[in-house]
Amino acid sequence: MRIVKAIYGWFDRRYNITPLIEKNVTKKRVPKTLGWAACFGGLSLLIFMVQVFTGVLLLMYYKPDPVNAWDSVTFIKSNVSMGWLVQRIHTVSANLMIVMVLMHMARIAYYKVYRTPRELHWVSGVVLLMLTLILAFTGYLLPWTQLSYWGAKVGTEIPGAIPVIGHDIVRWVRRGEAISGETLGFFFALHIWIIPATISAFMAMHFAMIRRTGISRPL
Amino acid sequence: MSCDKPCEQHNGRRTFCRTCIGAMTAASAAMVGYPVASFVASQPSRIGENKPLEVPIDQLVQGQARYETYRGLQVIILTTPDGPLVFSASCPHLGCAVNWVSTESLFRCPCHGAVFNPDGSIVSGPVNEPLKPIPFEVKDGKIIISV
Repeated sequence: MRIVKAIYGWFDRRYNITPLIEKNVTKKRVPKTLGWAACFGGLSLLIFMVQVFTGVLLLMYYKPDPVNAWDSVTFIKSNVSMGWLVQRIHTVSANLMIVMVLMHMARIAYYKVYRTPRELHWVSGVVLLMLTLILAFTGYLLPWTQLSYWGAKVGTEIPGAIPVIGHDIVRWVRRGEAISGETLGFFFALHIWIIPATISAFMAMHFAMIRRTGISRPL
Repeated sequence: MSCDKPCEQHNGRRTFCRTCIGAMTAASAAMVGYPVASFVASQPSRIGENKPLEVPIDQLVQGQARYETYRGLQVIILTTPDGPLVFSASCPHLGCAVNWVSTESLFRCPCHGAVFNPDGSIVSGPVNEPLKPIPFEVKDGKIIISV
């Protein structure tokens, strides 16, 4: 404990961190009338961080090609020490994250927090919902099971209903006519890097805007 | 921090709470830390490590080399007119896997050009040692490596 304090003190004397922490965390004031329902946004972020962490762990053993994908996931679940736990946390949290985001949105909608000056909070939030869903959808294909294969097939068929360009979109998303190793590689890239990076950028904007306008004060 | 009498009593309670919170934090950290550490430390190559490597002789082709993995190491089974030979595929120079070039009947290392005879002895290149032979036995028409 004393060591931690000494290290903290060393940095604090140089960079004066304490007022920053007090202003943003320990002495930050939030409206008294906020209830438990105001937690869901923060919980979404917390789950996202859990996902990034467990996802990085899974990456150590996962192999993103059709020959090895299923085997490597089975290997994680049955051979890697605590692998079943890490894999299960990652799948369960994916569902939980969607639940949290939806609960958060339900509260915002119910209390009409989206009104001026917070319209863009809502818009960026809707983008975050979409990205969360894409994250879940792309992750679903990665274990390369029957369920994920057919799930991806049905899911990527949906844009086909768009007139004229629909079929081209389907082909683009699948990286070909059918779900194949190309699709797996593309979904893998989306799932582990492109979408998480985009989501992080939108989260940063979302939080910066909330800081700027302050938390909405319920009556 | 200056303290008068009633405050000192208070301090004992505070220390107790601090200790409890500290212990709970440590327990939580261990609950996360242990699974993560053991997950990261798992070594996939160790699984099935004690199983001997068995290769049926009738699957081998005369004058050809077959690459197998045994205990995480690449081994070469070379079929010569005098019978099979087994080497570690790792070049004694810096550890690249040597290639069997059947048209020349030589092992060639792709990294720095070391060349070895079919019996593993050096022909040329930046090496001081021959290819490392791996002991094996032939039983029931199979080559068994179990060292």
